[in-house]
Amino acid sequence: MGALEILKDRAKQLLTAGEVKMVIGYGRGSTADRRRAIFISDEAQADKLVLDKSCEDNLAGYLVREGLLQDGKKVAIFLSPAGIRSVNVLAAEDQLNPDQVVILGFEIKGDQVSALDGHHVNGFIELVGQIKKQGLSKDREELIAKLEKMTPPERFEFWRAQFSKCLKCYACRQGCPMCYCRRCIVDRNQPQWINTSPHSMGNFEWNIVRAFHLAGRCVGCGNCERACPVGIPLMLLNQQMAAEVLSAFDHFAGMNSTQEPVLASFKREDPDTFIL
Amino acid sequence: MAKILAKNKLNDVIAKLKSAGIDLFGPVRDDKHSWYGPVEEAGQLALDLILTDRTLKELFFPQTEPLLKFEIKKQQVDMQEMSPPNRQRVIFAVRPCDAAGIAIDDALFGWDYKDSYWFKRRNDSTIVSIACTAADEFCLCTSLKLSPDSTKGSDILLWPTKDGKGWRVEEITDKGKEFLGRINELLEDSEDQTAAVANVPVKFDLDKVVAWLAEPANFDSSFWREISRRCIGCGACTFLCPTCHCFDIQDEGNTYHGVRQKNWDSCSFAMFTMHTSGHNPRPTQMSRWRQRIMHKFNYYPGKFQANSCSGCGRCTRQCPVDMGIVETLREISKSV
Repeated sequence: MGALEILKDRAKQLLTAGEVKMVIGYGRGSTADRRRAIFISDEAQADKLVLDKSCEDNLAGYLVREGLLQDGKKVAIFLSPAGIRSVNVLAAEDQLNPDQVVILGFEIKGDQVSALDGHHVNGFIELVGQIKKQGLSKDREELIAKLEKMTPPERFEFWRAQFSKCLKCYACRQGCPMCYCRRCIVDRNQPQWINTSPHSMGNFEWNIVRAFHLAGRCVGCGNCERACPVGIPLMLLNQQMAAEVLSAFDHFAGMNSTQEPVLASFKREDPDTFIL
Repeated sequence: MAKILAKNKLNDVIAKLKSAGIDLFGPVRDDKHSWYGPVEEAGQLALDLILTDRTLKELFFPQTEPLLKFEIKKQQVDMQEMSPPNRQRVIFAVRPCDAAGIAIDDALFGWDYKDSYWFKRRNDSTIVSIACTAADEFCLCTSLKLSPDSTKGSDILLWPTKDGKGWRVEEITDKGKEFLGRINELLEDSEDQTAAVANVPVKFDLDKVVAWLAEPANFDSSFWREISRRCIGCGACTFLCPTCHCFDIQDEGNTYHGVRQKNWDSCSFAMFTMHTSGHNPRPTQMSRWRQRIMHKFNYYPGKFQANSCSGCGRCTRQCPVDMGIVETLREISKSV
C-alpha cells in the first residue's frame, strides 16, 4: 500500500469513528502540479485526498487559525517532519494542546513519499532527534558561502536589494505556522512601533523583526519563501538564525512538545546576566 | 498598408524619447520576478513574458508615496507638499489587462475627490500596449468581457506581426497620436500579417455571477466559508491586482517633524477594518474574502458601471495557497 492509501484509510477510520472532527490534508489544485489544503469533515469526501512530492506546504498553521481547536475536539492533519516539529513548537508555546492533534505523518524523499508511524507528537521524538543529528539543511551552500565572505556593507547591499522588492503583503507571516500572534508587532499602532510603509527602512524593519522572532522557533518548512510573491530568499535568513541558535544554545526547534523556548528561558549558569 | 514598428528600431525610439525629455518604462525582470520599471535600452525589455509578476498600477499608485513633510515649530507648523516627479513618460509593452486595470481605476480616483497624484501620473503617461499572442491557464480577460487585444486604457495598441520582428501600430487616443508623431520616421509601411491573438477560454458566466452576488440572501451563504477556508489572509492577491486601490495614510517621524505617507492597504488584513474600540466588523477571513469579491463584482459596478477586475489572473497565479477569484466565480457561475 502506498503512503496515500495508508493515510487515507487512517483518515477515514478516524472520521467514521468520530475520533476527529476534521482531517486537514492535501487535495488537487488549480493546475496539474499544484496541491492545496483541503478540510474534510465527512468520510465520503476523503477520496479527495492526494499525497505526492508536490505536497510541500506545511499545513500546521491551520491548527491555530480562527479558534479551530477551541472546542476541545480533535483534528487529524497531514504533516511532514517539519510540520510535526511545528506542532511541537506550538505546543511548547501553549498555542495548542497536542492531545487534540492526530498526526498523519509522511516524508518526501526525492519522488518518493512514505507514511510515518505514530499519531501523537510524542511518537515522533526519535524521528526529530535523528533529524537534528543530520544537521541543518544544506540548501544553497554556495550562496551562503558567498554571503559569508562579503563585508558587512556588501551584505547589507545584498539584503537591501532583496528587501526593496518587498510589498509588505505579509504572505511570509501568514504562511508561517509560528506567526500566530493575534496582533503582530507591525499591526500595533497605538503607538505605531514599526513603520507600515514599504520603503527601504520599513522593509528592513519588517524583515529583521520577522527573522529575529523566528530565531530558535523556525522549523525550516519553507512556507514563507514559497509564499513570497516577489521571490525574496527568506530561508537564507531563517537557516542562518537556526544555525546560530544551534551553535550558541544547542537548541533545535521542535524537538518535543515541552521544549523550553530558547529565547524565553533563562539558565542560572548562563554567563550573560541580561539579554544584551 | 499598415504602419509597422520593427523591434530593431526600439533603441532609436528610446533615443528619440530621451532627446525629448521623455522617460521609457516597460516590463523588466531579475532572476526571480518581473515588474514594470525604467528602461534605458531595448535589451532590458522582457518582451517574452506573458505577464509581469507585478502590475502596471505601481507606476500610477506606488506602494508607498510621501504626501507631505511637516515640521512643528514653536510658533507655526511648516508643511511642504510633495508631488510626483514632473516627467513625461511612455510605458511600453503593457499587457491589455494591465492597461484596462488603469482605466477601471480612473473612475475611483476621479470620483468624489480627484486624486491629484493619480491624475498627474495619468496625464504624464502614454500607454503602449501589445496584444497578447500567448496566454496561460490563469488568464481570464475574456471571462470579464475584455480580450487579449482590448484597447481599454491604452493609447496605442501594437499587434505582433507573424514573423515576430515587429508590431502593427494602432492609434487609440490623441496621446497615442502624439507619440506616433514623435516616432513617425521610424515606422515602416508593410503588408505584413499580424499574428493571431491568444485564445483565452471563457471560464465562467459573468452575468450569472453578478446576479448571484446581487441577491441579498447569498451574502450569508455557507458557500463563502467553504470557498475561503484555506485563505491565510495575506495581501498578495490585492497587492498584485491591477485594480485593487485601497490605501492607508500614516504619519512617520517624531513629535516635531515627519512625513505623511500614502501606503497600499489590503481588505485581506484583519487590521483593515479594526475599530479603535477593538471591534472588527469583518472578524473572519471568510468575511474578508467575501468583501473582496463583493467589492469587485457588486459594489464597484454598482457605483462605476464596471467590474473591478481586468482578468489578469495574478490573484490565482501567485496565491500562496492556490486560491484566487477564478475558482470562486466559477463555482458561483456553476451553482446557478
